[in-house]
Amino acid sequence: MAAARKLMSVRRDWRERDVRVVLVALIIAVATVATIALFAAQLQRTLVSSASSFLAADRQLEAENGREIPPDWLTEAQSRGLETGRMVEFSTMVFGAGGFQLVSVKAVSDEYPLRGQIETQAAPEQPRELVRSGPPPGEVWINPRLLRLLELEIGDSLEVGNRNLKVSSLLVREPDGGFRLSALAPRVMMHVDDVTSTGVIQEGSRVEYVYLFAGDDTVIEDYYQWLEPRLEPSHEWEGVRDGETFSRSLERAERFLLLGGSLAVLLAAVAVAVASRQYALAQRDTVALLKTLGVRSRGIGRLYLRRLVLWGVTGVVGGLMVALPLFWLLTRLLSEVLERPVEFHLSPQALIPALLTALVSLFAFAYPPIRRLRDVPAMRVLRSQPGEAGRGALTDAAIAILAVFGLVWLYAGEISLVVSLLAGLALLLGALGLLGWLLVALLRKVRGGGNAWRLALVGLYRHRRASLSQMAVFAMTLMLAATLVLVRTSLLNDWQAQLPENAPNHFLINIAPDAVEEVGAFWQERGQPLNQLYPMVRGRLTELNGEPVKEAVSKDERIGALNRELNLTWMSALPEDNEIVQGQWFGQGDVDGVSVEAELAEKLGLALGDRLTFTIGSEKVTEPVTSIRTVQWDSMKPNFYMAFPPDGGLTDMPATWITSFYLPSDEKTALNAFSRSFPTISVLEIDHIIDRIQQIVRQVTQAIEAILALILAAALVVMAAVVSATLHDRQREGALLRTLGGRQSLLVRSTMLEFALLGGFAGVLGVAAAEVAVWALQFRMFEGSFSWHWQVVLPVPLISALVLAFFGRWQLRPVLNVSPMLLLRRLE
Amino acid sequence: MNQMTNVKADRPAPMLRVDNLTHRVRLETDTLTILQGVSLEINRGESVAIVGRSGSGKTTLLGLLAGLDTPSDGTVELDGAMISQLSEDERAKLRAHRVGFVFQSFQLLPALSALENVMLPLELAGSEAPEDRARELLERVGLGERLNHSPRQLSGGEQQRVAIARAFASDPAILFADEPTGNLDNRTGQSVSDLLMELNREQGTTLVMVTHDEHLAARCSRQFHIEAGVLTEPSAVEELTH
Repeated sequence: MAAARKLMSVRRDWRERDVRVVLVALIIAVATVATIALFAAQLQRTLVSSASSFLAADRQLEAENGREIPPDWLTEAQSRGLETGRMVEFSTMVFGAGGFQLVSVKAVSDEYPLRGQIETQAAPEQPRELVRSGPPPGEVWINPRLLRLLELEIGDSLEVGNRNLKVSSLLVREPDGGFRLSALAPRVMMHVDDVTSTGVIQEGSRVEYVYLFAGDDTVIEDYYQWLEPRLEPSHEWEGVRDGETFSRSLERAERFLLLGGSLAVLLAAVAVAVASRQYALAQRDTVALLKTLGVRSRGIGRLYLRRLVLWGVTGVVGGLMVALPLFWLLTRLLSEVLERPVEFHLSPQALIPALLTALVSLFAFAYPPIRRLRDVPAMRVLRSQPGEAGRGALTDAAIAILAVFGLVWLYAGEISLVVSLLAGLALLLGALGLLGWLLVALLRKVRGGGNAWRLALVGLYRHRRASLSQMAVFAMTLMLAATLVLVRTSLLNDWQAQLPENAPNHFLINIAPDAVEEVGAFWQERGQPLNQLYPMVRGRLTELNGEPVKEAVSKDERIGALNRELNLTWMSALPEDNEIVQGQWFGQGDVDGVSVEAELAEKLGLALGDRLTFTIGSEKVTEPVTSIRTVQWDSMKPNFYMAFPPDGGLTDMPATWITSFYLPSDEKTALNAFSRSFPTISVLEIDHIIDRIQQIVRQVTQAIEAILALILAAALVVMAAVVSATLHDRQREGALLRTLGGRQSLLVRSTMLEFALLGGFAGVLGVAAAEVAVWALQFRMFEGSFSWHWQVVLPVPLISALVLAFFGRWQLRPVLNVSPMLLLRRLE
Repeated sequence: MNQMTNVKADRPAPMLRVDNLTHRVRLETDTLTILQGVSLEINRGESVAIVGRSGSGKTTLLGLLAGLDTPSDGTVELDGAMISQLSEDERAKLRAHRVGFVFQSFQLLPALSALENVMLPLELAGSEAPEDRARELLERVGLGERLNHSPRQLSGGEQQRVAIARAFASDPAILFADEPTGNLDNRTGQSVSDLLMELNREQGTTLVMVTHDEHLAARCSRQFHIEAGVLTEPSAVEELTH
């Protein structure tokens, strides 16, 4: 057996083209999965920690009822090892040298912020600084605009209730700042210990207590399990994932990475399957010879199993050797994008999928054809047995398909993804069957001649079986790659559409009705026209069909919207990004009814015709629900839960106006002039939030691009695997054609044409199947809408035709450069 | 025995004229001379056997005569064309129209049926009705019932018959055969060589055959011996000494 073992060494294996393809495919599969898993884990950590800073913590607990939470809730959290912090938010009048101003106060404990940093400025023209804690007792940090509004200098004192607090710094940006429209007035930040002594908070004051929690995810989850039964309706537990703006971006990024990972594995698996089948076919003579020499079937089985294990080890080691530097590079890239160091975190769990991939690829894709080598008859030494080649192909395919969907399911955890891919593949196979039939029927009529076109067509017909199976693999490869490119494109477009270059980054709130025109003119003069202005009336939803709303709605539903005043509006036209899902938008002249946001409607269990009663000041307004609409909460434009028709239920109610607009960063000084001219209007600056979101989008985009590159590499390996599967036959054919008098140029042209046709057909089929898969994915996973992607539909078949034509040309290389005699001898 | 060689004057131009042909192969350390100063002339319609042991250089000589490779030195003139001066494409054109081949290992394309294998050179030569001609030839070699069988489904003898049909498909002026019976048993070999000789006669083709089978060689009008790359013609030597 020593000689036989020697025959089976991996080093000798490497000289075989098919084994090289198997090993390269394995390495790519392991590398892709390991890189994606490692990077996804890293991205998750980075994104969550970067998004966490929007809460200044991992979780926030808000008490909107004006009462502090029981102290044992905090001690419980601390005893579990969580960090905690506390804030009190309220509005009050403050007094300075130049007068008084309504401000929004945030009083913070020493621990604030648990996540993220506060940006401050020692004086207006000084550089900005990042600090990790708020002002000490006795001091306040104020919004720079307040400095001018109250004619203050740094070091002056500011009168807050009964206290005079020293203005020690300017507050440029809070990590959790400015996301809620309730923050109407300029900000003043002080220490929480000073709050009582100001005497501002009295019984019944409008005040919000906010508690911050940070720590290990599982500990937080456990704590929440403990806390949940104790929460009252006025308590709101908020995590990054609940925040509407980021959760969708995060989820989509995660899903995309998983989808990419699954597809890479699929592609590599195809390559492994094709190459090992080819390898097994080529090994039959060796096996027959070994059997003739007396090796038993079981011995053959063992020899090949051992070899498979060696391949697996090579694949895993090689894959990790590719993945780790790549991951390191991606981590570096990430820290560059984020402009801060990112910890290189090697999560061991992330390596498990990689190992699993190697294992499944080998045993579901490579093993079946190789296992059947045991059954090769020794008789083969004397004469090949007809029908041997095709045997078991169906069983192999069935095992492979099952394994593929198992893997995809495992990685993406989404049955809909599996179903979409299955649908795409089924369509593809159906179309291929039809095309195959057509091809055979049509090409049968073509007869050869000196013409390259006819020779190519005849070639396709002659190799019809090989052509069809190659086409199937190419089409599938293209489908998977195109699906990924399409999903990536629509994902990125979606993000960009949500946040275009000049997305509104400032809100103007609290515009008095008689100031609307002047405000518009102010910004028009400065070349920054306002977007649509909306009236805003503050009111609570109090009754549903005549019953108090809190009784009408199930107690299990904790609905924030019921515990605070809602911003109600009226409008004649439906905002562009809203969509009616039930009922009708207000028609011309309609004055009755209210349009409700879809998610809230669902939570409240509303149906068309339900009567909603709002309490606005001392007035009550009752209107039937006439439509339910979706709202793009992350559009950075004013959005409303409740919309009335003009001259409808809100007529004569005390309204102020709200709008948003885009202000470039170098024009921000205009805000000072604006604040001086319109001191009662609040400016909400969300430019930094938009910057952060765009930053996250950029970093996710880069990750996606990197992974896409890996996947396209996998696709190329598949193509190479399939093309080289017929290499031997084609080279022999080429040599023979030349011997029989075929010219080089004819050979080159007809081969390139044949492959181009193959690639073109496969491209058309693959793209069509990809469109079906994307259509399904868009609806189920990414919530986007579907449209044809001409930018992919047209070039993909062309590119695939070109690539394959050159693959074909490349295959012919040895046939063209060597004398036909030498080649025939070599190929014998 | 050989009338042609006796009428040296005003005979037609030879089918094949080889002058001082030498072929060397460069190895890693030195150069191996495979053929050494080979000269010969073969007339139209002649059948010639080149006999020699394995490794004597006979297959290399055949390849050079057929223009499948180019010699290191010397010239080969095939049907009036100096093939060592032709480009690869010109040689291919010459092969397509004037030359047929029969190989020891048959060299049929496994993806093609017997019929398609025979059609191949006809298609390459741009024939009008390749299928009819191929069908006719396969019937002639006794395989009319097995047109659509793939090479795998045919015995060795049958495969070689397909190869012979393919070789005659484009009406070649000269046919090169490399050990045509080398892979066949005696009886099959006999019937294959009968077929080859018959067709050769019928078509008036010039035949150049490489073989180590003395019986087969004896059926040719002339024989050459090759040993260590040097070609001799025993019959001619005999004649001179007489």
